Amino acid sequence: MAWWATSYRKATLLLFGLVLLAAGLLTVFDLRLASSQAITLTANQVIEPVPLDDPFAAVWNQASPVEIPLSAQEVTQPMGGGSARAVTARALVDEKRIYFLLEWEDATEDLSLASQEAFRDAAAIEFPSDGGQTLPSFCMGQTNAHVDIWQWKGDWQADIDRGFASVAETYPNAHVDLYPFRDDKTFYPGWAVGNPFSQRERVSPVESLVAGGFGTLTSADVQRVAGVGRWQDGRWRVLFVRELAVGDDDGVRFSLGGSTNVAFAVWDGSRGERDGQKSVSQFTDLRIGREAESGGISTGTWILIIALLSGLLAALVAASGWFILGRGRRSP
Amino acid sequence: MPKVPNWQLGREMDYPYERGKPQRQFAAVFNINRCIGCQTCTMACKSAWTFSEGQEFMWWNNVESKPYGGYPQFWDVKLLALLDEANPDGQVWDTSAKDAQNAPYGRYDGLTIFEAAKKAGARQQALGYLPSDKEWRAPNIYEDTSVSWSQGSSLPEHSTWFFYLQRICNHCSYPACLAACPRKAIYKRAEDGIVLIDQKRCRGYKKCVEQCPYKKPMFRSATRVSEKCIACYPRVEGKDALVDNEPMVTRCISACVGKIRLQGWIDDEKSPVYYLVRKEKVALPLYPQFGTEPNVYYIPPRWVPRPYLEQMFGPGVEDAIDRYSNPSEELLGVLQLFGSTQRLIFSYEITDEAAIGFDEKGREIVRVPIEEPVIVRPPQHLNIT
Ligand code: HEM
Ligand code: SF4
Ligand code: SF4
Repeated sequence: MAWWATSYRKATLLLFGLVLLAAGLLTVFDLRLASSQAITLTANQVIEPVPLDDPFAAVWNQASPVEIPLSAQEVTQPMGGGSARAVTARALVDEKRIYFLLEWEDATEDLSLASQEAFRDAAAIEFPSDGGQTLPSFCMGQTNAHVDIWQWKGDWQADIDRGFASVAETYPNAHVDLYPFRDDKTFYPGWAVGNPFSQRERVSPVESLVAGGFGTLTSADVQRVAGVGRWQDGRWRVLFVRELAVGDDDGVRFSLGGSTNVAFAVWDGSRGERDGQKSVSQFTDLRIGREAESGGISTGTWILIIALLSGLLAALVAASGWFILGRGRRSP
Repeated sequence: MPKVPNWQLGREMDYPYERGKPQRQFAAVFNINRCIGCQTCTMACKSAWTFSEGQEFMWWNNVESKPYGGYPQFWDVKLLALLDEANPDGQVWDTSAKDAQNAPYGRYDGLTIFEAAKKAGARQQALGYLPSDKEWRAPNIYEDTSVSWSQGSSLPEHSTWFFYLQRICNHCSYPACLAACPRKAIYKRAEDGIVLIDQKRCRGYKKCVEQCPYKKPMFRSATRVSEKCIACYPRVEGKDALVDNEPMVTRCISACVGKIRLQGWIDDEKSPVYYLVRKEKVALPLYPQFGTEPNVYYIPPRWVPRPYLEQMFGPGVEDAIDRYSNPSEELLGVLQLFGSTQRLIFSYEITDEAAIGFDEKGREIVRVPIEEPVIVRPPQHLNIT
């Protein structure tokens, strides 16, 4: 065998090995991507309608899920959270609306905060508010750079599904003779002053909020985010939906082909989580549209496919090279 | 964390905010010795403020039987246990370090609920807990239950005893409820130091319910926000035409049948409340060691064993009972002003014959004789059937 033929074979094997190694690394790398903050959530563009009432709809197979690691909030009082370790985020976009789907594990479905000790499950998405010169802190923003937050709440979902829980429903054995002025808001100050928590007619289980630092969180004047949350077999799936085109003061703006940042938070009611006591992520990139054509295959998967394909190509080249050389040697 | 002065503890302490001194501070003195446990105050408050859905369990004013009772159940025992857990056997006073203005009871060398939370590495501002529904169920559980039973009792300490503790929000100078709220939805009014929960900003976190050591904020499920005693601020502001829009005492204070309550300002030397607390030192704060500088003061019951009273009202107990049992002319006079008028007494004068109360502008609003005249019923009106 000619010296160059042997080294050619060696080189082919080496190439093979390298490709396999690279593919393996990339697979691992794909996982590591999710645990660092260099994750990108892409809102894939879809043509089929996205149902507004079903977070399990098949169209979500066209989204590219990313796993976002969460950790306990340890920055300011009150601290806590940490029970939800990760949330899987998906996003879709069509001509009119943008959709987010959050999915996380939670052993209990906590829908009520009616009693003195109860708390509800909740989840939220956070974006830098428009017009900010500086990227806000993912921790509730700051004075000169606000954040928009959309929070879905288990009790608001129950209000929509079953109506605003009355005391009689919460405490079926309680007896009350009479409530004077029963329907007069004066005697329900939270209701009378327009606190969103006290309102009995709910349109959406999702509240739009703005914050510019700790303690400044305020319900937005314009509420435009719809959604639905469903708990099944120890997992929540919560859908958030908003129109792409909104007025100047109606909250964060999204444009097809554009990008921004997004952060996530999850509260576990049965562990007493509320306010700052929650599991949070940092800001991640959010890309809207375009990459959609990938049809549901994630970037990581693409890298893997390309790696395998090039591996196959290399193998073919090597095999044909060996064949040609072999034939050439046998000939007189 | 900023350091703030706490005269009740005779030292500075940690508090999440700087001292914000109101123009004047709402305060009241409750004379435990006179209370008959009728709950008229409790009903006065309920019928004014908490008769609607979601408030069924709410008693912004309640009267509980000590030592066993509590609303919510065992609230004080639980708090004391938490403090002791954070700082075992450390809740002690140095009574030699007295100073009339800044340390009238000596110096507290233990930890407050704010300091204990810090020491325990708690992930919240103050030590606390969230009472369960069950613990809120009765405003006077163990009503009239006394310790032991014996044949007869005599002063100075009865061997069989219980007493009534009348409780409203203390409108603390360093409210733990306010410190606990991460939204700053609780505020202390600059004009009178009354502590209120902003019904619009509250998001129902129940942080105030958890961290008020006196357990006076309560969560209302019908509006999903917390509510608490408002010190009847519309009355204190003088919004009631019934008394010519002049400042009026709260519902629970004016309704008291036993005339055990007197309202005033803790930081105005002319106020009878200032006299009772700061000058005569006959009225004491409830659990001053918690560190919130509460503004409802109590004349301790004179028949109760002193160690029990001291863990509840601090080391000023012995002196307070002594002065109450051997009252000066002025004290006797001021005691007549309790429950004497619906109007708020800003200043007073004690003469040989009468105790006189004045309004803010110095106009006389009430005159009570020091000694009631003896009137003998003439024979034709004898009450014999
Ligand atoms: C480590 C970073 C963060 C810190 C230190 C933090 C801190 C806090 C604090 C102190 C509160 C209570 C005060 C208030 O209501 O204004 C709060 C509430 C809240 N935060 Fe954050 N936050 C962080 C990240 C996030 C993120 C990433 C989101 C959303 C994705 C978020 C959404 C919310 C919402 C919706 C509430 C209201 C909670 C409720 O209704 O129970 N936060 N946060
Ligand atoms: S008694 Fe409780 S609710 Fe009232 S001011 Fe003090 S800490 Fe707040
Ligand atoms: S001061 Fe007013 S609101 Fe507070 S307990 Fe008394 S009656 Fe109720």
